[in-house]
Amino acid sequence: MISSDPKQVKAICFDRIHLVGQAGLKVARKNGAYKFLPTLLKDFDSEQIVDEVKKSGLRGRGGAGFPTGLKWSFVPRNTGKPTYLLCNADEGEPGTFKDRDIMRYDPHLLIEGMLMAGFALGVKDAYIYIRGEFLAEANILDAAIEDAYAANLLGENILGTEFSMNLTLHRGAGAYICGEETALIESLEGRPGRPRFKPPFPAVEGFYRCPTVVNNVETLATIPAILEFGGDWHAAIGVPNNTGMKIFCVSGDVNKPGNYEVPMGTSLKVLIEEYCGGLKHGTVPKVVIPGGSSTPWLTAEHYDTPLTYDALMKAGSMLGAGAVIVMDETADLIAVTRRLAHFYAHESCGQCTPCREGTGWLERIMNRVEAGTGCEKDIKVLSDAAEHMAGRTICALADGAAAPILSLLKHFPEVVQERLMENAE
Amino acid sequence: MSEVEHVHFTEQRLAEIGALAKKYPAARSALLPVLHMAQEDFGYLPMQVQQLVADTLNLRLMVVREVVTFYTMFREHEAGKYRLEVCTNVGCMLNGADDLVQHITKTLGVDIGETTADGMFTVTEVECAGACSGAPVVQINNEYHEKVDAAYMDAFITKVNADIDGGQA
Amino acid sequence: MTTLYINDEEVTVSAGTSILEACREHGADVPYFCYHPELSVAANCRMCLVEVEGWNKPAASCCTPVGEGMKVTTQSESLSKDREMMMEYLLIHHPLDCPVCDQGGACKLQDYTMEHGAKHGRYSEVKRAVLDQDLGPFVSTCMTRCIHCTRCVRFADEIAGTGDMGVLSRSDHMRIEGIVEDALESELSGNLADICPVGALLDKPSHDVSRPWEVTRHKSTCTQCPQGCDIVIESRGDEVIRIKPDVDGAEPWICDRGRYVHAAFRSKQRILTPMVREESGLVEVSWDESIQAAIDILKDKRVGIIFSPDWSLESLASIRLLHDSVFEDAKVAFDLHRRDMRAFAFEEGFSMSSLQIAAADQVVILGCDLRQRLPILMQGLRKRSNEGKPVTRIGAMNYRTNSELSADALIRPREWVAVIARAMQQLKDFGKTAAGMDAWLENVEVRHEAGKLLADALLADSCALLVGEEIRSHSDAAALIHGLDLMMRAAGHAEAEADGRNLVPEGMNAQLLSAAFGDIRVSAGDLLDAASDGELDALILIGSDPMGDGLFSMQAKRAMEKVPLVQIGAIAGQTSEFASVMLPVAAYSEVEGTFINMEGRIRLAEHPLRSLGEERPLWKVMMRLVQAFGKDVPVVNLAELRLRVEAFIPEMKGVWDDGVSDDWCLPVVRNRDVSCAPNAIEPAMDLDMVSRYSMYREGMWARASSFLADAGDIHALDDLLVHPNTLKDAGLNVGECKIRVASGDYTYHVGTREDVAQGVLFISKRGVAGDLSCEIMASLEGDQ
Ligand SMILES: Cc1cc2nc3c(=O)[nH]c(=O)nc-3n(C[C@H](O)[C@H](O)[C@H](O)COP(=O)(O)O)c2cc1C
Ligand code: SF4
Ligand code: FES
Repeated sequence: MISSDPKQVKAICFDRIHLVGQAGLKVARKNGAYKFLPTLLKDFDSEQIVDEVKKSGLRGRGGAGFPTGLKWSFVPRNTGKPTYLLCNADEGEPGTFKDRDIMRYDPHLLIEGMLMAGFALGVKDAYIYIRGEFLAEANILDAAIEDAYAANLLGENILGTEFSMNLTLHRGAGAYICGEETALIESLEGRPGRPRFKPPFPAVEGFYRCPTVVNNVETLATIPAILEFGGDWHAAIGVPNNTGMKIFCVSGDVNKPGNYEVPMGTSLKVLIEEYCGGLKHGTVPKVVIPGGSSTPWLTAEHYDTPLTYDALMKAGSMLGAGAVIVMDETADLIAVTRRLAHFYAHESCGQCTPCREGTGWLERIMNRVEAGTGCEKDIKVLSDAAEHMAGRTICALADGAAAPILSLLKHFPEVVQERLMENAE
Repeated sequence: MSEVEHVHFTEQRLAEIGALAKKYPAARSALLPVLHMAQEDFGYLPMQVQQLVADTLNLRLMVVREVVTFYTMFREHEAGKYRLEVCTNVGCMLNGADDLVQHITKTLGVDIGETTADGMFTVTEVECAGACSGAPVVQINNEYHEKVDAAYMDAFITKVNADIDGGQA
Repeated sequence: MTTLYINDEEVTVSAGTSILEACREHGADVPYFCYHPELSVAANCRMCLVEVEGWNKPAASCCTPVGEGMKVTTQSESLSKDREMMMEYLLIHHPLDCPVCDQGGACKLQDYTMEHGAKHGRYSEVKRAVLDQDLGPFVSTCMTRCIHCTRCVRFADEIAGTGDMGVLSRSDHMRIEGIVEDALESELSGNLADICPVGALLDKPSHDVSRPWEVTRHKSTCTQCPQGCDIVIESRGDEVIRIKPDVDGAEPWICDRGRYVHAAFRSKQRILTPMVREESGLVEVSWDESIQAAIDILKDKRVGIIFSPDWSLESLASIRLLHDSVFEDAKVAFDLHRRDMRAFAFEEGFSMSSLQIAAADQVVILGCDLRQRLPILMQGLRKRSNEGKPVTRIGAMNYRTNSELSADALIRPREWVAVIARAMQQLKDFGKTAAGMDAWLENVEVRHEAGKLLADALLADSCALLVGEEIRSHSDAAALIHGLDLMMRAAGHAEAEADGRNLVPEGMNAQLLSAAFGDIRVSAGDLLDAASDGELDALILIGSDPMGDGLFSMQAKRAMEKVPLVQIGAIAGQTSEFASVMLPVAAYSEVEGTFINMEGRIRLAEHPLRSLGEERPLWKVMMRLVQAFGKDVPVVNLAELRLRVEAFIPEMKGVWDDGVSDDWCLPVVRNRDVSCAPNAIEPAMDLDMVSRYSMYREGMWARASSFLADAGDIHALDDLLVHPNTLKDAGLNVGECKIRVASGDYTYHVGTREDVAQGVLFISKRGVAGDLSCEIMASLEGDQ
């Protein structure tokens, strides 16, 4: 049970995740799912809900950290067009695996969150865009959605109220870029997932050019608790401007990798040492990528940084989706960078010149550098090519592609230097 | 498939597709799900299946082509009966994915992207599977296998081969 | 309006304009590849970056709307570096084969490399190579040069409406491909080579023929359809290399017919010297000898003259001068598609400009293959339907428009009366009437439901009616058009400023044709029959080919076998077989001339190419004949001739001195007082004939162009087409069938197509079954 005392809160999204049978509607309801929904539908109006969410300080958990209440308030009303709610369950950022756990262990939490968001936004049709590889999770969600329809939690006149909402699960088919919200919309329209330039923003012109809200699974799964306990309650968890709990997906060189939901502001060191059983080798990590592979690297000097949007920004990185990839002294940073360069080259949607051509170029140079056949001028080319990709494209994938290269060159120039020409004839 | 000139969906599939298309503002949204279905039904998506999907959803063939070639899960060529898709992205790489790939390809005697001569296994490297706490991860025909090591893969391969020898494949 | 600063200069543009467009409007140079004013914004090349004060990263100017007070900088050190890097990215995989590339010299990639690029590229890895494709006779590819700007894909989707180009795959494997069976399904495909900013899509016919810096360009007017597009003729010496749309013209595109007709200029079909028929055949003679030969044939004879409406105004006026000076009693015809010569309530030509048509609340296309007839106008309508505005079509065939039609009905020609009657009834029921309606309806019992579509559209505030060849060439055309005219009046679409009556003309210059020839014109069919019947002694053809074009080829053949022929023109064609004398005339690329397009816009073609042989401008040939016949020569120079044109069309006074603005349109004949009730004849046979116009095959110039001939073969349909049910009802199968028409029985191959109206026999090919075009009814007979 989530405590109504913010100081006592242990988990929000993962509160019921370990309960056996929670994916089934009956068990979930026994454990409190949809408990608050009738009250909400009866006593709240749209404005109130948006206000509570604004008050909660909740920031989007999908990567950008944009305040959720504010995003909702941008949706124009009475346009004569339908408003759509899309749940971003594409979870493709290397290092993230949190949404998957919510979906497979507590799917009704997500559905409930979507119902509440949908109610607030006047949504008639909502969709969950789940990455294609998550077939097992999709089957669980599908079953949950079916149960919810059968229990009149979805469909027409939900729980006897005026509110009606349909929810459809939609599987992607293997494209990281479809996690980017406008690419997701394109994909959901049956097209290749190539991001759209903004403006117009999805809130105004999104799915089929209608007002659309795209939210991450974790964001939506946080909504029921916020509305039950109030925005202020949520705002009291974590630290100012970085409120609530956050799931961190820790992977790499730690003894106990996994998902940990902790209050915002917990330090990196605490997360790794107290929750994850410490590093596999040594006492201080060589590199931590704090927010998923697209975020700039932190090094040992930032081990104490509190995990908040603001503190990580100050440290030169980003909280991103909360995917903490830890590398200890054994990690081959050049191999890691090369592998990430390959990832971005493979996943670029191909439309922007710098990203399409730059990602492949970076990968090919990194291949050489890793093989020890790089040359002095590669360093300048790498940094030139990476720098002029970032911030010059339609979406932020190019920034993500530049991040590992620029981080490597910035923090470990000597490592690169050493490897150059190692095997040259 | 190559011998099959005319491919078609079963009545049941068509009904399913019809119902699915209604869930979206426009039928074209059903393209990805329908391609998944077609791939399930026909094993992969050669041109005549793409044409079938285009005709079924009343889309231009080019629309279907663009989508099929964009998404990595859609296959234009036949793959082995078991698709061994090893995640080699950073989380898995830090946990030995590269060695695992080497082991599998050596055991099966194929390169990455290739299918064994008996058509049983295709080995590919894939991007982050979104299950890094279980690294290294191998997806076998859409099913996640986590914390996989060489022994696990050996056992799997041996079992499949034994089934073939036992005539059950 | 939004005010912003571009490089510190205050400028004001309309709100919502992109920064790039604001820069273009105000002369600030911003490089770009993917942007194209006529296409949707893709923003993928990232070449158009600019800086906006207060923004922490450069902005793609093509997709960023201007903001009030925004401070934009288009030149800075950091932007230079960005542009240099963009060029480096783009050139990574580029083959750098400028010396052998047709685009070299007119290539954005090359220009920007010089302007913005670094001295040396630093890419030293493997280069990508992309397979080329066969896109048909007009577009050749070198896909390794592609920079993925997707202009071609957007063109195919948005302009051509074919969607047969696409972006396959992703990352740097991304590639542009076309799905084509034999060729791109577009009558606008030649534009692809123009919009490709690099050398990936190239003009196939001019491939490896010339380099951009070798050619000279002159502006002209395309005479291949009534649209009269503004073109630029690119030539080297006296050889035309390419025809392109004039970028400063009204439309950014031209169709493949207008673009590739130029192969005819140098074809073997050109008449380049005067010829006279001797025992051995046609032999070259001097001008004097040929004129003498013509006099021998024509002097004091009963003569018929058929000319092409596509000559310039000056030429047409000179034809009338010839008539008046020498052949005062001659019968004259120019329209090869008109059976009914009674006056139409509204004559050929448009009351609306293309822009007005595109902006109308409703557009109704009646019996017209607009995509073949007026491809550029169709393009405008396509754009309009993309925006969700309605287009209704009624006719004998679902000619593919490549766009969404809001309403569509298949009917056969004999049903037009019933369609109009149904619509008229509905208007009356809505209280919209015009004097004459009752008389028109009096003897019409039948009603056809398609009339509802027509009436619904007519009830809109503004409606553009496009009446096509199925009605214009109908045997009862005057009555049908009268009916339509009554409805347009009743619905308020016949008033000045809001006149929606547009009759798709056969060619250009409708105003001059009716002013100069309205009193003497006869039906071409009648004229030819008169020759066969011994009522005429000789024929003069001036640039017209009634054997190859129009409805009367059977009559034409008969007539020419009977009487001697003087052929005056630029192209020989089939008719030359019968010519006793041929007088060579300059092509429209070789003379200065003036044209009026279907909208009434006046187009001037200037800076002519030099002649190839001994051909002369038509007016000079006409005057020479006048002189040779011993008559007073009425005009001796172009200026005098133009005064004659002004006499026919007073509105044109001063045009040649002062020029005309593009929004000025000459009116065509409207509001004629006619009163013809529909003919109430019982059809004698069960099928209606409809003859198809093919843009690749109709017209002497098109037939003489080898490029268009290739396309014509690829896009050809079966000779004769019927709806499958029509064939089934007759108990026949696809294959050779016996066709009975008034003039006899014929055997031809008959194919089927779902989109032909039932009960229609559709003649789709000239030459083979084309001779049946003159018939209006047929039946399918007997066993196979
Ligand atoms: C390249 C790229 C990939 C992304 N992938 C994901 C993803 O897999 N899941 C996700 O929720 N957001 C992803 N995002 C962020 C989304 O664009 C978007 O900001 C988010 O879904 C908004 O939801 P939120 O406000 O709830 O965070 C990605 C962004 C980019 C630029
Ligand atoms: S930055 Fe890359 S992934 Fe993003 S839109 Fe541009 S090309 Fe596509
Ligand atoms: S012109 Fe702006 S991105 Fe290409």
